[in-house]
Amino acid sequence: MTLQEQIRSNRLRSAIVVAGFVLLLVVLAGLIGLVLDLSLGVVALAAAAAYGLFALVRSRSMVARMTGARELAPSELTPLRRLVENVSIAAGLPVTPEVRLVEDAAPNAFAAGLKPERSYVGVTTGLLRTMPKRELEAVLAHEVSHIRNRDTYLMTVATVFAGVIALVADIGFRSIAYGRGRSRRGGGALVAVLAIVGLLLAPYAALLLRMSLSRRRELLADAGAAEILNDPEAMALALRRLEADPTTVRYADASTSHLWVESPTDRVESDRQGISALSGLFNTHPPLASRIAALEQAGGFRLPERLPVDVSFAAEAGLAASPLS
Amino acid sequence: MPWFWILVGALVALVLLAIVGYNHLVRLRNEVGTGWANIDVQLQRRADLIPNLVETVRAYAAHERGVFEEVTRARTELQRAGTPGSAAAANEGLTAALGRLFAVAEAYPELRASENFLQLQEDLTDTEDKISAARRYYNATVMAFNTAVQSIPWLLLARPLGFREREFFSAQGDTAVPEVSFRP
Repeated sequence: MTLQEQIRSNRLRSAIVVAGFVLLLVVLAGLIGLVLDLSLGVVALAAAAAYGLFALVRSRSMVARMTGARELAPSELTPLRRLVENVSIAAGLPVTPEVRLVEDAAPNAFAAGLKPERSYVGVTTGLLRTMPKRELEAVLAHEVSHIRNRDTYLMTVATVFAGVIALVADIGFRSIAYGRGRSRRGGGALVAVLAIVGLLLAPYAALLLRMSLSRRRELLADAGAAEILNDPEAMALALRRLEADPTTVRYADASTSHLWVESPTDRVESDRQGISALSGLFNTHPPLASRIAALEQAGGFRLPERLPVDVSFAAEAGLAASPLS
Repeated sequence: MPWFWILVGALVALVLLAIVGYNHLVRLRNEVGTGWANIDVQLQRRADLIPNLVETVRAYAAHERGVFEEVTRARTELQRAGTPGSAAAANEGLTAALGRLFAVAEAYPELRASENFLQLQEDLTDTEDKISAARRYYNATVMAFNTAVQSIPWLLLARPLGFREREFFSAQGDTAVPEVSFRP
């Protein structure tokens, strides 16, 4: 399968997932309308739409706050900004994304923003201190291809959808629990039970949808980074280096875990949960080993057992002082 | 009567296919255009740095006239180049001439220590990196466009509507971009 075909099939899959979200929402509202009250179903949908719109408009600054990313001064970290510029030129982005810095020792990066023109790439100080230039470029290319593929857009929309479904399910469930709604169909005990089960399960279904979306995107972004730089080995090396690093981002929690290049929550969960098949369902990212294997297969190379010892980008570009110390 | 409707259906399907195909080709052609604009911006930026660089070196090494003329000639050639192929060749000519200029500069420690010279050198390196980044993107778009124009069914549409293959940005002529194949 070529990269172009991969992109196309991933786009199709995400379209199906988003359609699944919409279907889930409509079924949910329908259940509420059927079992309780038609007007309550309409109110729940309207509330969901309002909440969704608000979350979308505020998403950019919300992500910045949740991750602790700060804007850079115009003269700060010029070498890093040049790197992002080069990568986004090679990716054919119309506008170079802004760069934001997260003060964190764990090497990681993310991309955010609804439109490619108003997106930004966040990197941790740990990433600059860990990665040599070639691998840092690969990580940046990974984030830039998230932006190019409109993943950041899709992920934001998916996150908002998941929140909206949880909200609607909550409204419906509370209404049933407090018996405010009048049952319109007398003998619909079975329907009512089905509705309760549906309302209970909906948030988990939404969560699963969001996760499946993210995992496919990660493989695609890895492939995109390899294509942008014409260097699949650099991306694989960067992933291996992330794997070798034991630290986790401080600000990581479930709401932002899908954004990062290496999932900050998977590491914790995989230690905790014994049942690998079940926990696999709730991981936001495919395991790093399988991402590396995919790159090795695509590029026709094998990574050496031991990582090469390289000078980090921070040291090479003389950034060890000031903001990084 | 059913034959009539089958015929109408086939005709409608054909027209729809033609519309989809045309839009596909236009989109690819626009991407090639954007890709070329990206390269052009960086080439222009590189050419704009040259006079300043020549002046700076001249201040320290006035008698190295041959090298200055060579660099200036290579710059003019780059600005005159009309096609991607000739621009790529001119760009490589400029790289060679600049290589000789920097080799000459090695002999002048004061020049090498000059702030202005160091800044220009850094800007030139940055521009060269950006040219090679822009080239990767442009060549990928040309690859996609040419493949579409040469393959069935768009081939039947491309020729009559004037979609012609584009040139790669490469001094050696038609060098294909290696395609990364990917299996998850």
